[in-house]
Amino acid sequence: MKRRASFLAFVAAALLSVSAFAQRTVSGTVTDAANGEGLPSVSVRVKGTNNAAVTNFDGKYSITAGQNAVLVFSALGYSSQEVNASGAVVNVSLSESTSKLDEVVVTALGITRDKKTVGYAVQEVGGAEVTKVKDANFMASLSGKVAGVTIRQSGTMGGSSNVVVRGYKSLTGNNQALFVVDGIPISNDAYNTGNQRTGRGGYDYGNAAMDVNPEDIDKITVLKGAAATALYGSRAANGVVLITTKKGAARKGLGVTLSSGVTVGSINPDTFVRYQKSYGPGYGSYYGNTDTINGYYTDYRMYDYDYDGDGNVDMVTPMEEDASFGMKFDPNLNVYTWESVYEGLPGYGQKFPFVAGANDPTTFWENSTTFNNSVAIDGGSDNGSFRMSATKFDMKGIQPNSSLNRNSFNFNGNLKASNRLTVSTMAAFTQQKGRGRSGTGYDARNVNQSFRQWFNVGADMAKLKEYYELTGRNITWNPYGPLYDNPQQPHYFDNPYFMVNESYQNDERNRLMGNMTANYRLNDWLDLTARANIDTYTDVQEERLAVGSVDVPSYVRRNRNFTETNLDLILTANKMIGEDINFNGNLGSNIRRTYYDFIGAGTNGGLVVPGVYSLSNSVSAPAAPSEQNFAIGIDGYFARASFLYKNYLSLDLTGRYDISSTLPAANNKYFYPSASVGLIFSELMDLDGISFGKVRANYANVGADAPASSLRDIYVMGTPFNGTPLASAPSTSNNPSLLPETTTSYEAGLEMQFADNRFGFDLTAYRAISQNQIMPARVSSSTGTIFKYVNAGVIQNQGVELVLNASAIRTKDMGLDFALTYTRNRNEVLELFGDAESLQLTSNQGGFQLLAKIGEPYGTIFGVAHERDANGLPIVYPINASRGYRYLRTATPQTIGNVNPDWMGGLNTSFRYKRLTANVLLDMQMGGSFFSLDTWYGYATGIYDWSAGENDKGVERREMVIDGGGVNMGDVAVWDGSSVDEDGNPITSANTEAIYGDMNYYGNSFGYARAPQEYHVWDASFIKLREVAINYSFPMDKNSSIKGFDVSLVGRNLAILWKNAPYTDPEAGLSAGNLQGYQSGAYPAVREIGLNAKLKF
Amino acid sequence: MKKILLSAGIAVVVASCTSDITSLNGNPKAPEQVPAGALIANATVSLTDYMASISVNLNNFNLWAQHFTETTYTDEANFDYANRDVNGNTYDELYTNVLRDLKEAEKAVEADASLLASHKEQQLAVIDVLEVYTYHTLVDIFGDVPYSEALSAETVVPQYDRASVIYADLAARLKADIAVLGGDNGLGSYDLLYGGNADGWKKFASSLLLRLAVRVADVDAASATDWGTYAITAGVILTPGDDAKLDYASAPPHANPLWDQFVESGRSDFIAANTLGDVMNTLNDPRRSLYFRNNDANGDVVGAPYGLASAYPLFSQPSNLLEDPTLPHKLLDHVEVHFLLADAASRGFTIPGATAQGLYEAAVTASILSWGGSAGDAATYLAETGVVWNAADWRDLIGTQKWISLFTRGNEAWAAQRQYDLAMNVAAEAGRVTPKRMSYGVDEYALNNANVTAAGAFYNNDSDTAPIFWDAQ
Repeated sequence: MKRRASFLAFVAAALLSVSAFAQRTVSGTVTDAANGEGLPSVSVRVKGTNNAAVTNFDGKYSITAGQNAVLVFSALGYSSQEVNASGAVVNVSLSESTSKLDEVVVTALGITRDKKTVGYAVQEVGGAEVTKVKDANFMASLSGKVAGVTIRQSGTMGGSSNVVVRGYKSLTGNNQALFVVDGIPISNDAYNTGNQRTGRGGYDYGNAAMDVNPEDIDKITVLKGAAATALYGSRAANGVVLITTKKGAARKGLGVTLSSGVTVGSINPDTFVRYQKSYGPGYGSYYGNTDTINGYYTDYRMYDYDYDGDGNVDMVTPMEEDASFGMKFDPNLNVYTWESVYEGLPGYGQKFPFVAGANDPTTFWENSTTFNNSVAIDGGSDNGSFRMSATKFDMKGIQPNSSLNRNSFNFNGNLKASNRLTVSTMAAFTQQKGRGRSGTGYDARNVNQSFRQWFNVGADMAKLKEYYELTGRNITWNPYGPLYDNPQQPHYFDNPYFMVNESYQNDERNRLMGNMTANYRLNDWLDLTARANIDTYTDVQEERLAVGSVDVPSYVRRNRNFTETNLDLILTANKMIGEDINFNGNLGSNIRRTYYDFIGAGTNGGLVVPGVYSLSNSVSAPAAPSEQNFAIGIDGYFARASFLYKNYLSLDLTGRYDISSTLPAANNKYFYPSASVGLIFSELMDLDGISFGKVRANYANVGADAPASSLRDIYVMGTPFNGTPLASAPSTSNNPSLLPETTTSYEAGLEMQFADNRFGFDLTAYRAISQNQIMPARVSSSTGTIFKYVNAGVIQNQGVELVLNASAIRTKDMGLDFALTYTRNRNEVLELFGDAESLQLTSNQGGFQLLAKIGEPYGTIFGVAHERDANGLPIVYPINASRGYRYLRTATPQTIGNVNPDWMGGLNTSFRYKRLTANVLLDMQMGGSFFSLDTWYGYATGIYDWSAGENDKGVERREMVIDGGGVNMGDVAVWDGSSVDEDGNPITSANTEAIYGDMNYYGNSFGYARAPQEYHVWDASFIKLREVAINYSFPMDKNSSIKGFDVSLVGRNLAILWKNAPYTDPEAGLSAGNLQGYQSGAYPAVREIGLNAKLKF
Repeated sequence: MKKILLSAGIAVVVASCTSDITSLNGNPKAPEQVPAGALIANATVSLTDYMASISVNLNNFNLWAQHFTETTYTDEANFDYANRDVNGNTYDELYTNVLRDLKEAEKAVEADASLLASHKEQQLAVIDVLEVYTYHTLVDIFGDVPYSEALSAETVVPQYDRASVIYADLAARLKADIAVLGGDNGLGSYDLLYGGNADGWKKFASSLLLRLAVRVADVDAASATDWGTYAITAGVILTPGDDAKLDYASAPPHANPLWDQFVESGRSDFIAANTLGDVMNTLNDPRRSLYFRNNDANGDVVGAPYGLASAYPLFSQPSNLLEDPTLPHKLLDHVEVHFLLADAASRGFTIPGATAQGLYEAAVTASILSWGGSAGDAATYLAETGVVWNAADWRDLIGTQKWISLFTRGNEAWAAQRQYDLAMNVAAEAGRVTPKRMSYGVDEYALNNANVTAAGAFYNNDSDTAPIFWDAQ
């Protein structure tokens, strides 16, 4: 420690040995070139120093400067200017920027830089872009706008967003980008259970960064490569999303902004099931004992049972079944159905016409509504400014009884306490309450488990709603029925209205994010900044399962406390070295401490008193609560030196040294270097038509530490057995000799603008190799453990990012601009632990496995495949004449898909005519695939429309193949079921006539019972009409107290213009994290249309 | 200048004020040491849960034994265990939840300086008996499995040992345990099978050795004689009071796993298979109403065609006895021991004071009594055609009766089926009879490829129709 202290002192002293110039005061006015009015909030800086001032409301400024000083004037949206300050008065007029090149960008640790000089890719998104169309999770609104960033949404109300920058780098660790708000690294944890993430059920609680209020966002900067993020040390490998909040500015009086928006959403039917309406409940033909009942041929698809006791057998539907392979509907038949069995209901003991439900589950979804109201007040003088805001966000989801409410309060202020000292603070308090969030995965609390997989299309949603509202009870379409001892008891599925109204969850998070910063000007080129950041919250989740449900009634509650503090001390230097070289650098330290505390408990064996949700209301003694408590500490020291030669050649060097608490003492100190260069070659030569040209390249090496508490082995205490304590070794073995993992990245870029910036591009190519990964490797369980923490594994990501811009029309009154982003990432797993060829990331229901497999991109979908012939055609073989053909399945699982898209793109078209602007965003993904548990089961239960109706021969698909029914299997290779060559491979021939598979019962050729998993792997490609926004800005009288009034009509997720996956949104998933490519009870996409108004005083 | 140096100084002070940063990395909520008894108890519960389970994800052998079949989702009854990775789950359960905890318990016992020497010896033997039981269960399912290199910190790719070699070692270990066991083992209530009484463990160990002896009798008469003699001399379980059984709790998570499936799940997946039903009907078995409900008016079991999708209400269903959460599960009991002795006697083994017929009849009677039937029922039953003793037909009689008696004990019932070559139905969808072993799981192929491939070679490329060593076909 001592050695470093003297080093720091030495550097400080060395930097200080050069000293002051003769100073004088320069003042003037900055005006807008368009209208000659004074421009407030323009930054005026003496070039090569940290000495800066800001223009006041009238555009006036005053600054001290040396004799030959050059003043740099810059403002958001305007081209910056450099002027020699030879006289005492310098007046400047700024023109609106035609490109974003002149902008100042925020880089790591909140350091602002001229964008054109940085040697790595940086992309910015303005706050307007994320508030235009309000989403509960602002991350979702970045989709299609930033090259190199993959954003996936789970599709549920307030659900999480998966934000991955430049591909998956960690095999089992966190791959989510780091979110930083005004210098505060904030938690973006998704507190979803392991069961939720693996499709076994649970709620998607969203991720914590969604607490950031989009109304307060000034801009978002995405730092993609490691060179851009290396100063963040251990956390930098996954890219950083920097959020800068809105600040106040010097102005006359107070500014008040009122903003109000309402959005209405409805499901996109392209993303939901279309039901067949021809066949009733049942799995096949094994319910009756006789062929006919009262003269009707039942094909054994109906029970023959004397329900009314009159001595004659009646037709009773197999209502306890959750499939629709029953008898063909016939309105002339009167049968006993689920409505007949509930005592006290009007239908009790009555027969009903045998028809499909008049209202299918599509009608279950309501319109969503979102109200967003905010007020912001800002003001300021030469000595300081502030902005405070309050926002109320209220959302009601498409699922009945669901809501998400968020209240956000934000304060930003700064005060020039003296000539040398500036203090500022930011505080954001958020309170978020969720209720009735969507259950996900294969679980009763996800109504889509039934709607998409297991259902009786004879059920009428309107009646289910009516009966629930009438009784408050679980009157379900799926009771055991009269042939069982307990006819009214629900069998597999609950009434969905009962479920969402009685078994809802709720959650609340109260969060404070804030910082206090003091900036002390040591001299005209050296500043010292001390900053204390905190992000802290408490989080409560409560989950219920009501008495009367199919599953054991329960109550679960989880409480969390999270606090992260970061103390930063940063010395900033900005100085000219000679005439031509500008030096800009930092020296600093970062002390981070993270504390996490969790307790969760649930009832056991049911609830004693219905409707009381407390742990004490447990039928059996509840198991001991589960507790987690951990702390992470990192002490980091960093330095950055940036040199800019004559405004066209830049060199950046950074280094960071971290000491982490999560690694063993011998291995817990490590260093990350980075270097980047940029050359604006257009400054060197005068090229026709080229308005700007720059090449850049960089290298970085960043690392990461281990998860907390992964060094020493512990035991797990179980629930005592009849009073005897139980203890066991956990399924993951820890490792006391872990090393830090590292990511090495290279990046090169070319940025050009042509024809007065009318069109141009920014092209980046990169490669990153992550190695020595800390991961719980799956090992043979015969070793006694299932996972073992090791350092192993290498992943490589390489790719190309392209941002294209073009202005087709650029006049005073009219503009038409296009911006296109293109992302192509190629990921490859190069090495794993030991001899393992693959690492299983998850194994989910339906035989789905997600692997990291050597030689393949991270996220291989693994399962039973089609056995194929030499031409790649699926092989089919005959079962028998009545059932036709089946697909031949491989004996062992194979690679059947991959979650990684080939490329992604976004095309934003903006049109401006006088005060009217319109934006249209198309968002697209090509390639990538997912496995659908929904069709896997749903095709075996006969609920989808394609399973009924006529086939290409004009015969009902549900008829036996021998009778002309079945489904045409298309191009296949035909095997007789026995002939094999000398290697044992089937001898096949191309089909010369149409081949049919049966669609007659749950064991048909296409559902899970007989088809390979590969049949249910779907292409995830899509082109979406993501956003449309039309804004009109009313003209204001100069003397009016109203300074601005904007009205906009917006639409989000309006249509999927093209996709290959049937009945669903290919983007839907479970939740954020590494486990993707799996749909189970997916929610339909919601189209939203809204109206916003913004009034400024 | 002074200020700057001061600031720089502050920076360093702030940075260095934390003492040892690694002290933050503890885990205050989980112990690094636990009592050995808690580990032994956990292993006992995990092992018994596995043996008693009828979960389609974990243990399919009540189906494979063709006692039960499935209603709608008939994959497991048709021997599709790979789809749910039942073979992989079996490894996970037995190696990591049973054998690993036993190994940790062994370490804890060895390290416990305060333990009486006698208790230490007894506890190590108790642990060993449970380990032997678990490995024997693994061998009977798969054949060759990792044994000598399993659970070792030395390798993550343990080699497979030959099934017959493992059996021989297990028998040797049991002999050593039997020689030691007796008196108080000091485990007290941690001993969930015998409450701290090592005499009970001695009988359990001997009975297990007898089971191994009978198991290998068709292929290795010498070992069978050696082990059997040793076991019988040491004393085996002959009365219900000595049964190795776990009395389940009345509430989850420690209720009998059958209750989880039959009651708590609310599902209706399992019904009587016609294979067992038809045999019991033919023999007029008095246990029909004890095993199943919803039998027909004559009391006959209405068994569904094995492996064929069938409607639950139309067939016989698990009896109410099986819906008791506290129903004990027997790892080894006096009924089975009587069948083992009857088998041994039939092979010419001398059982002091007993005959093959006497032991067979005692076994059948004990089974009927243990399910709640009467001695009169048993006497009548023993006179039925197909039940009545006939020394010439001992294999079939003992095999069939043992198979019937092992209701809800799928692993052993399947073993009886294999050892006595009992006639089974062809599963309706699979078109074949019950496999003779289970193929290895996909995880082993992914994680321990060379070893599992080598082991699979002994079973016709890991075929589940290849018999394991004691199954003489």
